[in-house]
Amino acid sequence: MRTYVAKRLLLIVPTLLGVAALVFFIMRVIPGDVTLLILGGDQAGRIDPAQIAAMKHQLGLDQPLLTQFGTWLWGVLRFDFGRSLWTGEPVTQELLIRLPLSLELALLASMVSVILAIPLGMLAAVRQDTWVDYVVRVVSIGGLAIPSFWIGILCILLLVIYFGWGPPLEFTPPWVDPWANFQQMVWPVVTVGYRYAAVTTRMTRSTVLEVLREDYIRTAWAKGLRERVVVVRHALKNAMLPVITLVGTEFAFLIGGLVVTETVFTLNGVGRFVVDAVAHRDYPVVQALVFLIAFAFVVVNLLVDLTYAWFDPRIRYR
Amino acid sequence: MRPRLRRPSLGIVTTVLVVALLVGLAPSAAPAADTPRRGGVLLAVIGADPPSLDPHQESTFANIELVAPLYSTLLQLDPYHYPKIIGDIATEWKIAPDGLTYTFKLHQGVKFHDGSTLTSADVKATYDKIVFPPQGVRSIRKAAYTAVAAVEAPDPSTVVFKLKFPSASLLANLASPWNVIFPKKYLDQDPNYFKTHVVGSGPFKFKNYTRGSTFEGERNPDYFVKDRPYLDGYKFFISPETSVRAAAIRSGRAYIEFRHLPTAEVEAIKKQLGDKVTVQETPMTGQWGVGINTTVKPFTDVRVRKALTLAIDRYTMGKVLAPLTGLKNVGALIRPDSEWGMPQAELAKLPGFWHDADKSRAEAKRLLAEAGYPSGFKAVLKNRNVKLPYQDFAVFLIQEWRKVGIEVENRPLETAAWFNDGQNTGNFELIVEPTVEFMDDPDQFLGRYATGSTQNWGRFSDPQIDDLFSRQARTLDPVERKKLINQLETRVLENAYFMPGLWWTRNLVHWTKVKNYVAPPNHYTNQKLQDVWLSED
Repeated sequence: MRTYVAKRLLLIVPTLLGVAALVFFIMRVIPGDVTLLILGGDQAGRIDPAQIAAMKHQLGLDQPLLTQFGTWLWGVLRFDFGRSLWTGEPVTQELLIRLPLSLELALLASMVSVILAIPLGMLAAVRQDTWVDYVVRVVSIGGLAIPSFWIGILCILLLVIYFGWGPPLEFTPPWVDPWANFQQMVWPVVTVGYRYAAVTTRMTRSTVLEVLREDYIRTAWAKGLRERVVVVRHALKNAMLPVITLVGTEFAFLIGGLVVTETVFTLNGVGRFVVDAVAHRDYPVVQALVFLIAFAFVVVNLLVDLTYAWFDPRIRYR
Repeated sequence: MRPRLRRPSLGIVTTVLVVALLVGLAPSAAPAADTPRRGGVLLAVIGADPPSLDPHQESTFANIELVAPLYSTLLQLDPYHYPKIIGDIATEWKIAPDGLTYTFKLHQGVKFHDGSTLTSADVKATYDKIVFPPQGVRSIRKAAYTAVAAVEAPDPSTVVFKLKFPSASLLANLASPWNVIFPKKYLDQDPNYFKTHVVGSGPFKFKNYTRGSTFEGERNPDYFVKDRPYLDGYKFFISPETSVRAAAIRSGRAYIEFRHLPTAEVEAIKKQLGDKVTVQETPMTGQWGVGINTTVKPFTDVRVRKALTLAIDRYTMGKVLAPLTGLKNVGALIRPDSEWGMPQAELAKLPGFWHDADKSRAEAKRLLAEAGYPSGFKAVLKNRNVKLPYQDFAVFLIQEWRKVGIEVENRPLETAAWFNDGQNTGNFELIVEPTVEFMDDPDQFLGRYATGSTQNWGRFSDPQIDDLFSRQARTLDPVERKKLINQLETRVLENAYFMPGLWWTRNLVHWTKVKNYVAPPNHYTNQKLQDVWLSED
């Protein structure tokens, strides 16, 4: 087991390097130039090539690409992701402003999802083709079909129109003011959590249904075990492997993937930061964020793989 | 005492040796009859973060709305009576009879927020940075000060601008809200210091900025204008989504959106909040048009360019787009109904502005046939991927062009590509070209039609236009200047070097408890907030 974990941890290095290289070069291939954006502005007109060259030199963008990549990697090894080309602020500092919010949203939405999805998915499977199953299926298909941001906009409009109340426009960490934090986060958590729960419910339902048809379940019924024991102990635990994989990857996605939801709820999160950075061709920021998101995926995948062993003791890693 | 003169006229210059203007420090009397109340924090919403905090280097509302309350300027536009020019830190000024020397006296005892005293050396350092920027420092409006030969500071309370030639627009450009005064000592350390720092002398002091979230200022107790500001502070919430900003106003989380909200949102807000909100609709010193690349075929042919502009029924366009986008008024190259705008009767004689749309389209088809395109041609319109008003504007144009056989494809580009693959490199046939300035100053609006101007997106060169531009800029008699301006506009429009679309209007929505904010025709000026107060929290 230890060897396996060590191997997986070591594999993180080439994975992240690959991602870093890919993003580094893709960002430089797409059209658009950060120097023009900095020197441009809505009304700037054409820009003197000498000024562009000076700006490129100032930002270090006149160096050969490999040198730039090397410099950046050397910084990463020292946990220095450089400075934003757009604002001049250290990327780490900019990131730290946004990360707590994104982590909180991802954690809470995952919790909502797991708390709702597993019992509902299980219930729908056990009561297959009854009204309970139909309701769960309709609600979960609704969650898949309706974009979260649209539900978010509806939520805000209903609150504003019927109660003259809107969520706060500024993030307050839960340790500063839990009530203010709750008022702001509850709506995005519910809207994101709904979609997330819908996906997970569907997955739980189908895997539980599959397991319920296994021979060992029939044996459990034949032994005269109670329904709760058959379903929870024998079926659910075995049905969990695909579900936890899904929960894990969704969690990693939520850290950087909620661009529109963040916009709708005025959340200053990592998702909006990524999109702004790409639009501004702010290379160090995009590289750092993709690096971070890739790191989250790799770590979550590892954790997911390790939890397999807990759910299914037959799995042994070497 | 109020200022009495806006710009030097030929009569004054020739008859009076020295024009002395005594300028009151406070703006003209407020229109509100209520007694101002001290206290409260003004909560506002804004659609974007600024690229940097230095207004000399930026041209976006996202910069000036946030930082204007933190700074002073030499002159300013009267918050209550646009476009009257009054002093800010200047108490009075004199213009030499030859129009080549402007001498300003500064208010004594103005303090920067770091406690140091503002002197003429700071004003000189500021204007040196704007007019003669050091290597590597961007000065976005440098071209507006080509007349300035030198800025001098003979004593701590006097600043002198020496000109190479008389400039009719200099005073207006010295009242630019973008030209905030920076302390010299920081500029000496690093001319880019203020891209990331704020040390001003304005009514509010910088408190906090969290990129992507909020920007805050707090009352400056040492502000040089007595008993101002009224507010304890101001706070902007940054939200790029229009409907979210509108919802923030509806829920009372914010009291004002300074830029513009679409009519549908404004109606919904009014319906829900009734007289708790006030809407100020003003014209805008901004126009959306189309840049035509005159260096590529078929747009090298004036007949083709004229056909393009003749195909557009601007009067119908104004009616259709106004409720959707705020693009409403038909005008030439200077805002209609402004001091310098072309009278409608004259405008209606120019191609593209005839009231008979069928006649215009018939003429467009005739010109296309004459130019060798009897069944039209295909072209690409490069556009910015911003919904309002860019996309709706393009959609209307395209369906109008189709009526005369010109098939145009709208190609929305993100801002980076819009610059890089469009206006900056000239890699376009047609491109949506907005022009928004802080006031109706002819130099600001017409400079882009001169040969070699960085703003000349269409890359045309017409010596007659260059001559007219240069002459109007030096003509101090307003009547004579207006004639030259109208001639220049006629020349541009008759040759269809540029295709005007519509002039923008502004829907400013705020809670009625926000008092003393008079919306000028743009969201760049009157942002100091020194006289704004809240009737309740």
